[in-house]
Amino acid sequence: MPPEDRRDPARSPSTGPDSAILSGPGSAILSGPDSPILSVQDLHVTFRRPRRPDAYALRGVDLTIGRGEIAGLVGESGSGKSVLASCVLGLLPEHPAPVVTGRVLVKGVDMLTSPETRRRAVRRLDLGSVFQDPMSSLDPTMRVGRQVVEAAGSAEEAVRLLTAAGIPDAESRMRVYPHELSGGLRQRVMIAMAVAGNPALIVADEPTTALDVTVQAQILRLLRRLRDDFGCSVLLITHDLGVASQVCDRLVVLYGGRLAETGPTTPMLSEPRHPYTASLLRSRISLTSDVARPLPTMPGEPPRPTRPLPGCAFAPRCDLRTDDCEKAPPEPRPVPGEPGRLSACLRLDELAERPAEPGSASWPPNAVSGRGPLLTLRNVHQRFRVRGQGRHVRLSALSGVDLTVEAGESVAIVGESGSGKSTLLRAVAGLTPVSSGAIELGGDARPQIVFQDAGASLTPWLSVATLLGERLSRLRLSKAETRRHIARTLTLVGLGDDVLHAKPGALSGGQRQRVAMARAIIDPPELLLCDEPTSALDASRAAGVLNQIGELRRELGMTVLFVTHDLGAARVVADRIAVMYLGRVVEIGPADAVVGSPAHPYTQALVSAIPEPGRAIAAPAGEAPDPLRPPSGCRFRTRCPAARAECASRAPAPVRLDAGHLVDCLLYEERTTAGSAAS
Amino acid sequence: MLALAGRRLAGAVAICLGLTVVLFVLQHLSATDPVRVLVGPSASTAQVDAVRHQLGYDLPLYAQWWHYVTGAATGDLQTSLRTHRPVATDIAQFLPASIELALFSCLIAAVLALVLGIGTAGRWRGAAPLNTVLLAIASAPAFLLTLLGIMVFYRNLGWLPPTGRTSIADPPGGPTGLLTVDGLLTGRPDVTLDALRHLVMPAVCVALLPAIAVGRTLRSSLTTALESDHIRTAKAKGLSRRAILLHHGLRNSATTPLSMAGLQLGSVFASLVVVETVFAWPGLGLYISQSIPTSDFPAIAGTTLLLAVAYVAVNTAVDITQAVLDPRLAR
Repeated sequence: MPPEDRRDPARSPSTGPDSAILSGPGSAILSGPDSPILSVQDLHVTFRRPRRPDAYALRGVDLTIGRGEIAGLVGESGSGKSVLASCVLGLLPEHPAPVVTGRVLVKGVDMLTSPETRRRAVRRLDLGSVFQDPMSSLDPTMRVGRQVVEAAGSAEEAVRLLTAAGIPDAESRMRVYPHELSGGLRQRVMIAMAVAGNPALIVADEPTTALDVTVQAQILRLLRRLRDDFGCSVLLITHDLGVASQVCDRLVVLYGGRLAETGPTTPMLSEPRHPYTASLLRSRISLTSDVARPLPTMPGEPPRPTRPLPGCAFAPRCDLRTDDCEKAPPEPRPVPGEPGRLSACLRLDELAERPAEPGSASWPPNAVSGRGPLLTLRNVHQRFRVRGQGRHVRLSALSGVDLTVEAGESVAIVGESGSGKSTLLRAVAGLTPVSSGAIELGGDARPQIVFQDAGASLTPWLSVATLLGERLSRLRLSKAETRRHIARTLTLVGLGDDVLHAKPGALSGGQRQRVAMARAIIDPPELLLCDEPTSALDASRAAGVLNQIGELRRELGMTVLFVTHDLGAARVVADRIAVMYLGRVVEIGPADAVVGSPAHPYTQALVSAIPEPGRAIAAPAGEAPDPLRPPSGCRFRTRCPAARAECASRAPAPVRLDAGHLVDCLLYEERTTAGSAAS
Repeated sequence: MLALAGRRLAGAVAICLGLTVVLFVLQHLSATDPVRVLVGPSASTAQVDAVRHQLGYDLPLYAQWWHYVTGAATGDLQTSLRTHRPVATDIAQFLPASIELALFSCLIAAVLALVLGIGTAGRWRGAAPLNTVLLAIASAPAFLLTLLGIMVFYRNLGWLPPTGRTSIADPPGGPTGLLTVDGLLTGRPDVTLDALRHLVMPAVCVALLPAIAVGRTLRSSLTTALESDHIRTAKAKGLSRRAILLHHGLRNSATTPLSMAGLQLGSVFASLVVVETVFAWPGLGLYISQSIPTSDFPAIAGTTLLLAVAYVAVNTAVDITQAVLDPRLAR
């Protein structure tokens, strides 16, 4: 099929620029105000690896971005979205050797076949890029200013760009090194470099994934503003539909290296016309997820890039599949009556009329028994000696934390980086002795931890059977009993016997997380500690892990302490939520109360910064201050919209709002004293 | 940075004190009697005892040690038993030749290491075979290289002189003692050229091993650095390959090769002894290799002490350079 016949999103009448002028192959001259900035045509990328099967990263993708458009490229890990970004920048890795067919035109220049000098000129003049981790993406040994000047050309221009990217006092910040900046400021430096020279297109690959949610809200807002100010187009790559919903004009959903669905953001999210988009939306953990029953999950696993896909990539996981779906990959076709929308589903018409699925059976009633507290923290302080400015200084990671967890209860600790939530978990696990205060563990709790990066927490050269078996040595079981025990635990976490002899490296991310979970519960601890077990997983897998935890605590009566930065996940997994800020618990209460009617200004800021489709986010000002120099009085006052002079002089004490809902804020202290005076 | 230098200076003093203790114990344990060596086998017992008393060798070991250390602090390294001159004077005479050879070796090693490191970094086709050849060279001991060099470049090709520092009868005696430099300073380029011809072979022989060691470390850290995220950023900015290598790649991969370079100084000293002996190079290596068979303890101790100070000083300089290159280490 010649490229002209491809159904290209740009050629449907309403998506911004129409009628792209594409003459025959070889012509690379595209100009005029209406031509697309980026045009990707039938792009296939296959990595040839010695002694291993070929990996099909992209299996035929078409994509167009018009002038000033923000397009969201959405997909789970392995969907090929980052490979597409590399193709646009002309920076595909050379090893393993990629075989590339198709065309990627940036302002008419083919980024796949043009000579390197030409591609470099395009990168310098027409493209900007923002990557996921601003710490590793900036040169640690070069002053920030020089790095920006490399892109901007002159120091004056660099200062102007840094200011435009929202960096206060840009002039003096030119002299610092990246490690001296906060995460948010580092990403703003990246953005300043990206907009240098007024590029036509900015490629932003997961630009907010490594940032705290309040900073993410600021960066998303900045991206939109830069588009308005500079008029550049943006290709925003993200795994989070919520993030995409906040900034994108149009979404492009990839699955298995192919386009699943594309169209304007709002209708696509309210009425998806591809079963994959629909299940992606369903399995998304949001502030409105139904917590009375297990979260909906996508059955099966995403296709491995090594597998050839003769039919629809999503067919094995799709409940609408027919025999036709397995025969040939469906071509993206226009959705009738909705201009600008394409869906690669044979049954897209039926999708609109589908009734809402009945939810699964609700959870059995909770097992919080009157067994009394299992874990009590009393005025826990944790101080570390760290090197700062050439001498040793004291870092207070925890400053007076009180917390009681009842047996059988699930409590989530929510906070941003530097809040002390992981320190708290490590202290409870007994990994680091606390500086002062008391941690009392009731009974024979033997806490077990599930870590964030399950892949790294499993010894790579041991098989799953060995990894699980070694945890049973305490019980002195016979070989047959050990085998039975392992098989039972694997079933409990939803894995089959086929993984028994696999090494962690051969498993997918989701499977590894389940093995880590199985390892923690095979000799069931009374207290299960979870350190961000879902934050490295795609939405559908994260839902599976949360369901797992819900099931385990109900079946085995486990007590759970769950540390996360994600209020949505906390609400699903926990009975109570404790919100931490700079080493203190600022609010604690029943999960629904904390998320539904947050009392502390910080919790309110957290809730309103969460990107959810159909809701505008609000970004609080600033970032968490340096934990080495916490503000006096209330620690949140420097970012608090309701701060008053009094907040600087006096640290607030916990105020009881409702049963079990406590908040550390002077606003409420007054109110309750006034209330008690009246009564 | 000053604190770091101060800490290192204190460490260097401790290291040198420890070294003298080791030297004294070793000398005490060795079967040879320096006094007997000094006066010769035909001297009477009375004569030996008189000399022993005169030189303080009859004192207890700790007193001998204290005497040596306090003397060394004021620059007195005692008298050589072989040359009968103060060791400090001997060292001053032999040092310039060694410094010249060592400096040239380090220069050649640095250039070679850079070329090898950059040339074999990355994944181009020739990198693997080149790497194998280098490994083969690195496994050859220094004496083999020197003999091979003399056979090929002197006997077969006749391009280079086999021994000595210069063939000019009246080389300038100052001001630096380095013939290549003095030739230029005194307006005699023929001296410089002749000195260079004499320098090439021994210097290359000393330089090869450390060059390959440092080059291989540079290769691996540069390969890692060039695959890092910030290099991707630099490429995405549209910088040229050269700018990426010079401004981002090399600086970020410098710390490990620098450490290796500091540590390789030890091997440079070791091969100086071998190379100076083979090439009859009138330097400290030759001096110490003549002092060892005669159990000339003051000469051995003085030279060793000097090398130890140089070693600690260079490695301290390496640490400070690393802190300058990577601001995260300076904290």
